[in-house]
Amino acid sequence: VSSGLRPVPQPDERSAPYWESAANHVLTVAKCAVCGALTLPPDQVCPHCLTTTPEFTFAPVSGRGTVRSWTVIRQSFLPGFDEDLPFVLVDVELVEQTELRMIGRLVDGVDAPIHIGDLVHVTFEDLAAGVAVPAFELDGVR
Amino acid sequence: VSRFRASSDVAIVGYAHSPIERHAALPLGALAVETARRAIADAGLAVDQVDGFVTGALFPTSGAHAIEDGVSIVSANWLADHLGVDPSYAAGFQGFGQIPGSVAMAVNAVASGAADYVLLHRALHNPPGRYHGNPITTVGGVQQWTAPQGFFGPLAMIALATNEYLQRYGATRDALAAVVVEARKNGASIPWSYWHGNPLTVEDYLAAPQISDPICRYDCDIPVDGVATFVFTTAERARDLPHPPVYVRGYAFGQPTTRRLPLHWPLDDIMGVGDRLARRLWDRTGLRPEDIDLPQLYDGFSPFVLFWLEALGYCAPGEAHQFVLAGGIDSDSPSGLPVLSGGGALGNGRMHGVPQMLECYLQLSRRAGERQRERASVGLACHSSPHLGGAVVYSAEVS
Repeated sequence: VSSGLRPVPQPDERSAPYWESAANHVLTVAKCAVCGALTLPPDQVCPHCLTTTPEFTFAPVSGRGTVRSWTVIRQSFLPGFDEDLPFVLVDVELVEQTELRMIGRLVDGVDAPIHIGDLVHVTFEDLAAGVAVPAFELDGVR
Repeated sequence: VSRFRASSDVAIVGYAHSPIERHAALPLGALAVETARRAIADAGLAVDQVDGFVTGALFPTSGAHAIEDGVSIVSANWLADHLGVDPSYAAGFQGFGQIPGSVAMAVNAVASGAADYVLLHRALHNPPGRYHGNPITTVGGVQQWTAPQGFFGPLAMIALATNEYLQRYGATRDALAAVVVEARKNGASIPWSYWHGNPLTVEDYLAAPQISDPICRYDCDIPVDGVATFVFTTAERARDLPHPPVYVRGYAFGQPTTRRLPLHWPLDDIMGVGDRLARRLWDRTGLRPEDIDLPQLYDGFSPFVLFWLEALGYCAPGEAHQFVLAGGIDSDSPSGLPVLSGGGALGNGRMHGVPQMLECYLQLSRRAGERQRERASVGLACHSSPHLGGAVVYSAEVS
């Protein structure tokens, strides 16, 4: 469990199921009830079929994806990250849908070699009791 | 696509720029009032003749600083009120690319007859404390999807896009250094610049630690207090005013169409929307990249210059990094493309798209003094990222 000083998500009516699943280390993505396409983050209108009643549900996804970009954060503008510096953030395209991209920390650390197209899978960082945020880990590294 | 019908109907007829300082002695609102009065006088007008006011007032910080009109921002209505004017038209641009956005509003107001003389201003503030630092401990709204992971603020935003470019095209930080050194070289000769007399070498650049790889402090424009103001009127009225008018030929904007996480700027979004912006600009103005003497490219972060060079068609995709390394943007070379001759934001301070617009105005009105360039008839000034911002084409002659 990391330091409790890092900002924690404040779930709202829509996002509560997402954070409940995350607390159980299950990654979900908002799924449109009309067209079935996945959207991150959910919106008022489905960006794929443009329905105004997407009635998003949070569907479990594999958590597998490919690295599209990354950066090494050496200075944080948020509280609670200083002891984790430097750390890597990866921009990951999930396998479930073209251009479905999310951003998380790469838990392998700054010395792990990384390339565009590397395969990663989701893992979770437990920030506090009942609060976990998604992160990524390079495939084949344990 | 139809041509821009108000092409050359509206002109810039005067300007004023405050000194650019880390922290100005005057409060931002007072500085804006002073700078506005100077611009109106420069245009040969009296304050009570100005009946239109436009700006894009955004305070571009990810920090928790208070947004207070007249203190950390200056709205069009605040400025009109504090100049003692009851305006026919006062409005703010809500989107990104605040300079092209508010230029478009000024042009539209004058061309439509909603106002006769429009004052455009941009007031930027550097608050005490860290500009982007934020002490939040819980995060709701759209940032709940990114900030808990530590993805926060514009440096991480531009770092992901820049690394995607470097990795895809085999580019290195040397290309970013070339952009920054060119901006600082030109900014060093501009009297009102924060960096006046203070150029940067490639060695200085490469010695600076990275903050969010591959971005270091020199890739970012430095936050400042500063105000710029411009006066617009019809081409017809401009004939009776003291300075040579600079006409607006047209403008275009970009807007992403792919739903993304906050501050997530994939390279394909930037370039895909940028291509559409450029096509609209050339179609609406009837001009081509080679018609522009002064393509002033936005550089709030150094990689934007690479992105704009490619989006506007000056370089093929993936080739801008080689172009800048080969001296392609050296504004002192006869073969160089003068994209940062006005110093840009990196060479002046965080004045957003003002340096690009001001360089077009000064060069095309032949008011650039010792920096006057011989070939300066058509200019282009852009602002923000190609997928969010805009671009305006100016000319010294009526088309």
